[in-house]
Amino acid sequence: MKLERAVVLSQEELYENTYLMWLSSPRVAKSASPGRFLMIHCGDADEPLLPRPMSFHRFRDSQSERQFAILYDVRGRGTAWLSTRKPGDGLTNFGPLGRGYATNPDAQNLLLVGGGLGMAALIALADQAIVAGKSITLLQGARTAVKLYPTDLLPPEVEALSATDDGSAGHHGYVTDLIPQHLSWADQIFACGPTPMFAAMANVIREARSRKPAQALLEERMGCGTGICYGCAVFTRKGVRLVCKDGPRFELRQVFS
Amino acid sequence: MFCPTPWHTLKTVPNLSVELLPGHKRGLSFSNPVMTASGTFGNGLDYAKIFDIQRLGAIVSKAITLRPRQGNAQPRIIETAAGMLNSIGLQNIGVDAILRDIAPVWATWRVPVIANIAGESIAHYAELARRLDGAPGVSGIEINVSCPNVENGLEFGTDPRSASDLTYAVRRETDLPLLVKLGPNVTDIVGIAAAAADAGADGLTLINTFPAMRIDIQARRPTLGWGSGGLSGPALKPIALRMVYQVARSLDIPIVGCGGIVSAEDAIEFMMAGATAVQVGTATFRNPQAPLDIIDGLEEFMQREQILAVREIIGAALPAQRESQTNNAGGVAAGHGPQSDGAITGRALRPG
Repeated sequence: MKLERAVVLSQEELYENTYLMWLSSPRVAKSASPGRFLMIHCGDADEPLLPRPMSFHRFRDSQSERQFAILYDVRGRGTAWLSTRKPGDGLTNFGPLGRGYATNPDAQNLLLVGGGLGMAALIALADQAIVAGKSITLLQGARTAVKLYPTDLLPPEVEALSATDDGSAGHHGYVTDLIPQHLSWADQIFACGPTPMFAAMANVIREARSRKPAQALLEERMGCGTGICYGCAVFTRKGVRLVCKDGPRFELRQVFS
Repeated sequence: MFCPTPWHTLKTVPNLSVELLPGHKRGLSFSNPVMTASGTFGNGLDYAKIFDIQRLGAIVSKAITLRPRQGNAQPRIIETAAGMLNSIGLQNIGVDAILRDIAPVWATWRVPVIANIAGESIAHYAELARRLDGAPGVSGIEINVSCPNVENGLEFGTDPRSASDLTYAVRRETDLPLLVKLGPNVTDIVGIAAAAADAGADGLTLINTFPAMRIDIQARRPTLGWGSGGLSGPALKPIALRMVYQVARSLDIPIVGCGGIVSAEDAIEFMMAGATAVQVGTATFRNPQAPLDIIDGLEEFMQREQILAVREIIGAALPAQRESQTNNAGGVAAGHGPQSDGAITGRALRPG
């Protein structure tokens, strides 16, 4: 797997501290899919040392090539550097990596549950599923209203509901509070968000005595993205697994029981 | 048709091959001096799908323990300036699974695979060596001495006696090429290197990660789940380089240089300091292709500098004459247990 040179097509601060960047990196885009990720070098020279994992956020076809976007928060020196890139700038990267979401062909009603920046990966899935004729309900949770992903950017067919910790928009509480009312409707559930959200989700589903299949896209600190550093281990019912290689998609109940 | 080429336009193909262990009866020949470092390449099977691993000089396995290990709690890694810390906790599938599932795959490869072993007691290491000895696919053993000895809590590699005891115990179990990988957190690396050499090591890997720490200032506790970890990456390189130089200048034993190598220039520095081969580790996290890029860079450097064989640069930066270590390492290594078995060869000490 060679290092690739991506070209920045556009960059904007989509909402508070969350940036949307469109990239052209044809070889990486070719076999990218929702839930998979790429690694991006976030510095001019050799620093910071480790590349940053980024989910594929959206795809589009433009000028006969497949392009993709990433959605990221500025959290440290790597993402701060990334946020200063301008259209035309190059970005060293490699991918695509990991195992993405797997939609059951028989599943018609998909329930998507996103917490915070977990929306980054779910939107790619929503876009793809709408094209495939599926019905989508998207539940998203954030700390506060300004941190919600703008619903006007979603495909219009998506039914979107929100929850905020402070009650400034949508349901006042956690996004997982919204799950029970959609459980019987959903054929398959897809989630991406922080670990406590997954744990709460597993609880909610268990309490509803539901056996609906749910896939969680896990996040863990990564070194390599390719399964060699063993940094991103997750302890599952079947033993220790690596998020980058065995995931990032896992069956929710395999990790959170 | 024969077309004579003017001699000055002849493009020579540099010879990158090295014999790491000329003193060993079977030796350990590599097509080039670039190896992967233990714990930074898995067991090679995943990367066999990503690039042509047969181009590597050699592969060193992830540390193998007697029983499978789950490894440490999160967080296991954290970035630092020009480097990173890790405390993976020797997660691995254990020697049984290695012999059953992995070594048979290694046996089908052209690239030699060296099994890195780690244990909690000398008996563990000896048992691992016994199990791996003669296994198809295992071309050599590298002892990770940077493990705490559960019997006294001290790392095996932190004093000459325990390094010697451990090396000797493993040597008794195997004729395989034997490398001892030393840690840098010691006062006198040459003394420990000499002890390992005298106890039967065929070569030394210098160096393992440096014990280090970061603090999470929000949580007010060490960032890594385990508390501390090992520093790797470019920050480690000058330290590693000096240790290779120090040992190469004092002892006549093959050295594998390891620590922060990210470019062909880094690899060349290590070879000029006295390393016969190098291991690439953390660089592969940043660039999956890093070991291959370093091989290509070595070849370009040789063409540019008109070097015909890479062995020519080994030790090029060393003083012409090796330092005598008779007052230093020799005193430590001599008079130790293995002597009665005739294991001390004295070949590690080269008269100045």
